[in-house]
Amino acid sequence: MNDTTRFVTFPLGDERYALDSSQVAELVMPSRVYSFPHTMQSLEGVLVRRGGVIPVCDLRGAFGKNAERNLYVVARCHFEGRVETVAIPVSGDCELVQGERTESPEEVTFVAGLLRTGGKTVPLLDLDKVVAHCIQPALQWEANR
Amino acid sequence: MADAMKENERRPLFVSRPSKAVVATAGPVILFTAGGMRFAVEANEVEEIRDRDDRAAIRKLKEPESIDFAQHVGLGAGKLERFVVLKPGECSLGVTDVERMASLPRMVPLPRVFLGAERQWYRGLLLLENEVIPLVRTEYWRKRLAKGTGATNE
Repeated sequence: MNDTTRFVTFPLGDERYALDSSQVAELVMPSRVYSFPHTMQSLEGVLVRRGGVIPVCDLRGAFGKNAERNLYVVARCHFEGRVETVAIPVSGDCELVQGERTESPEEVTFVAGLLRTGGKTVPLLDLDKVVAHCIQPALQWEANR
Repeated sequence: MADAMKENERRPLFVSRPSKAVVATAGPVILFTAGGMRFAVEANEVEEIRDRDDRAAIRKLKEPESIDFAQHVGLGAGKLERFVVLKPGECSLGVTDVERMASLPRMVPLPRVFLGAERQWYRGLLLLENEVIPLVRTEYWRKRLAKGTGATNE
């Protein structure tokens, strides 16, 4: 089924990915990440936004190194059966685009479909799967659970 | 109707806001440092604070079991200069320094994506003076010390 709507595209590793704009809460300029000791891989710490905290999920492990981070994409995902909001650091520009969502012809890891916009095709990030994959207790702590 | 609902779900970018954080107010807390980071413990959970020399002086008397807090949370062996004795006085957290008390800081729950041991270590995160400070869950540390795991008493 095809679907036309708005999407946010952003660079992650060497590729550009897209998220449905309904998933994206906001784009945040680089701000302080508050870190504290914890056991989770890929979580850097938290951003403070409007009196609450948003965990920062660094996806470099899954998508390769990013250059200097320009923005945080704050997006909602499903995690362990509930909606969670996470901040994803990205480098480069984010764009708000209109496009058409289509099924991906083949199964690609972390890709939920394809976005066709302005003659280009951008993979749609399956944020639920990425977050579930990246956010795990580190091995040395897993052994102590 | 279904289309209208679907359209409602597509909230416009940059206008939508994260749901309001569940914020509670913690009671007075004592701020301490361990492994170069700052933590907090509820003041009414603390029996007393001893320094290293006090601890040596009372060694002949009953001495609380203690744990190197920094080491236990993965910060490496800490410089143990102070001991935060938890009520009722049978166990203590070995820390680098005890800074001061703070009143009624706002506390937010640990985000659910933090699903490892930190959920036992901390009750939540305090938003205090432009800092985010973990509030330790004293019942966990008492249990940990009761089991004798990580005790630093020689």
